[in-house]
Amino acid sequence: MEGERICEVDSGDGLGADIISTVEFNHTGELLATGDKGGRVVIFQREPESKNEPYNQGEYNVYSTFQSHEPEFDYLKSLEIEEKINKIKWLPQQNAAHSLLSTNDKTIKLWKITERDKRPEGYNLKDEEGKLKDLSTVTSLQVPVLKPMDLMVEVTPRRIFANGHTYHVNSISVNSDCETYMSADDLRINLWHLAITDRSFNIVDIKPANMEDLTEVITASEFHPHHCNLFVYSSSKGSLRLCDMRASALCDKHSKLYEEPEDPSNRSFFSEIISSVSDVKFSHSGRYMLTRDYLTVKVWDLNMETKPVETYQVHDYLRSKLCSLYENDCIFDKFECAWNGSDSVIMTGAYNNFFRMFDRNTKRDVTLEASRESSKPRAILKPRRVCVGGKRRKDDISVDSLDFTKKILHTAWHPTENIIAIAATNNLYIFQDKVNSEMH
Amino acid sequence: MEFKLEAHRIVSISLGKIYSARGQRGGLKLHKNLLVSLVLRSARQVYLSEPGCPPEPPPAAAAGHPEEEQPPPRSAAWAAEEPPPPPPGEQEDMETGNVASLISIFGSSFSGLLSKEPKGRRRPPLDGGEAAAGTAPAEAAAEPGQICCDEPVLRTLNPWSTAIVAF
Repeated sequence: MEGERICEVDSGDGLGADIISTVEFNHTGELLATGDKGGRVVIFQREPESKNEPYNQGEYNVYSTFQSHEPEFDYLKSLEIEEKINKIKWLPQQNAAHSLLSTNDKTIKLWKITERDKRPEGYNLKDEEGKLKDLSTVTSLQVPVLKPMDLMVEVTPRRIFANGHTYHVNSISVNSDCETYMSADDLRINLWHLAITDRSFNIVDIKPANMEDLTEVITASEFHPHHCNLFVYSSSKGSLRLCDMRASALCDKHSKLYEEPEDPSNRSFFSEIISSVSDVKFSHSGRYMLTRDYLTVKVWDLNMETKPVETYQVHDYLRSKLCSLYENDCIFDKFECAWNGSDSVIMTGAYNNFFRMFDRNTKRDVTLEASRESSKPRAILKPRRVCVGGKRRKDDISVDSLDFTKKILHTAWHPTENIIAIAATNNLYIFQDKVNSEMH
Repeated sequence: MEFKLEAHRIVSISLGKIYSARGQRGGLKLHKNLLVSLVLRSARQVYLSEPGCPPEPPPAAAAGHPEEEQPPPRSAAWAAEEPPPPPPGEQEDMETGNVASLISIFGSSFSGLLSKEPKGRRRPPLDGGEAAAGTAPAEAAAEPGQICCDEPVLRTLNPWSTAIVAF
């Protein structure tokens, strides 16, 4: 895939509060939301295509910025609650306003985003600045009229879903019924109604009676895109559980369990860590699920529980370095994964600001880099290669010179076009494939 | 032998991670600490089960504390609690080496970090160690930053449960 860089946003205060922690396109792809470690949400809007400036077509510019979450303190447990935004999910648009859910470790909030581009002028009792007029000067009655004004984007918190979680919230997912959503923490999943904040239903609880017996936690969860009764959750042991809310109120018992037996030749101290699933995503068709663990991405067919139908190696050259990666904590990095709109290509991030794409049809894969040096505006992305010994070509990177502080954990793909958003620490890159704009 | 050294190194690194997790902003991460405790348990099992261990005590942990010997009566008490014994000398060496490291990490107030022994904790140490490893994140998730004890129980507890419970 060829691409060109459209924009890079960097608030650059260097304090770490602007490290991007989540990226999400809305359902039309017109808006792109990012959340950061400092609790802020920045929404970008795509400029409409214009005949006068064809090269500006498709640029994303800042539409709105707001502070979603603030740091809090839990006095009972003497714990600080981080303001970092873990996930953002857009609601399907039902009227002129846009809505999204944003969550930190404990609290989910529903935000409404509205535009104001007109204001009333010509009040009888107030002047233009809002001060009361001297009544003796009012001699006739006028009807206020709406006059255009500079576009103002207003964001208001409409609901706050608090006190639902003891453990850290790792994912939220809006149901296809557009009325409910679920939130998952390490041990429990709750079902909420979007209009009701003072209660939620617990639908999954894997907390053991004796915490000493704890062996696995929930790592991610998502509703099926079409069947409002189905959802999946992934575990730290590498398994997926598909649950049907029609079967029972408490979905502790799964309908289907997707698990691949471990390869005994790969066993090491770190086998359990690298099999932990960091992200799970349904395909747009609803037929497949995509999972990411430390070294691979896997495509699962909902009809086959015994093993994935496809497995792609993201960076297998790290398998011999797991001890060092354990030492520097990189082995705990949680990479996300994404489908393109037609479910033919999957994408995930890696280290050294590299991200990988796998074409499921041609079985070809490519490694690309998101960086300032290699991406001037309008530049074409050059495929990169990590050499693992043997013949080394020019421009190859050796495994030992990979920068493990530059990790791409969060990526998103436009729902219908070949536009991708890549979060590289505190920079956001948006790439567009001009050659193949249509999805196939 | 290399496995043993690597296992010991991993044990030290894991203990260091559990320790530093206490002060982390946002509270204990249950997922990460569960994974660390699973690695800790695997490494410990390898270390205890591998035959032909080195005669000298393993290198001290990250804190780099030079002490590797404990007063014999103390280590004898711990050795007695360990069930399927590797040769007692080897067992003592490993225990003393690691406890020395733990004491150097926590300083002299180590015993003050221990909780009251809840019912059911005093099991055969091998189980206790494994269970306690799973307890680490749980304990901390339930009551982080709180644990104190009336009397020093260091001598009577298996050092692994001691180490983990302290977190």
